[in-house]
Amino acid sequence: MTRSSIMPHALGLALAALVATSAPANAQDSVISAAKAAGTVGEQADGYLGIKGAVSGDVKAAVDALNIKRRAAYTDLAGKRGATVAEAAAVTGCQTLATRVSAGQIYRIGAGDWQTKGAGPIALPDYCVGAGN
Amino acid sequence: MRQGPWHERLTRFSVTAALVAVGGCIQVRAPDKPIEINLNVKIQQEVVVRLQQDAKDLINNNPELFPQ
Repeated sequence: MTRSSIMPHALGLALAALVATSAPANAQDSVISAAKAAGTVGEQADGYLGIKGAVSGDVKAAVDALNIKRRAAYTDLAGKRGATVAEAAAVTGCQTLATRVSAGQIYRIGAGDWQTKGAGPIALPDYCVGAGN
Repeated sequence: MRQGPWHERLTRFSVTAALVAVGGCIQVRAPDKPIEINLNVKIQQEVVVRLQQDAKDLINNNPELFPQ
């Protein structure tokens, strides 16, 4: 293993340690937390995680796995409330963008470019009425 | 103030008229703003209101699905 291949892992671990205050529930979540801190993974208005640019296979796998779990949860919610899965996902996306993105993390609305959250709240899509705490 | 034989003037007039006609017909203009491609579903606010609390509960009850 060369030095250049070790460094990204060291960086990832360091970033994971930085965000350890949120106490990731498992290894998969810590991979995602580190990627969020690194600005390669972010929340999307559609209710799913997205990837910006090239990431390691570990990150890609973690994002895919989590999105599958989210989709299952959205499917449950949609069934309970007579909505479509996409609707349940998008409403949750409003909430996620409003409450689960920290300053400095990236996010994306629709097909727009990835943006970095600043000090203020994210400008949510029009349909996100009343999102927040 | 002649500007050439009659047929030359006629040609100039015809070309000008054609250009004016074309300009009048084709109304394609560059949009002022970039065209917004919205990949999201068209979601009704009624649906948002109806699902809002469920979405909040979903996140709060399943924090492992929403790592920060």
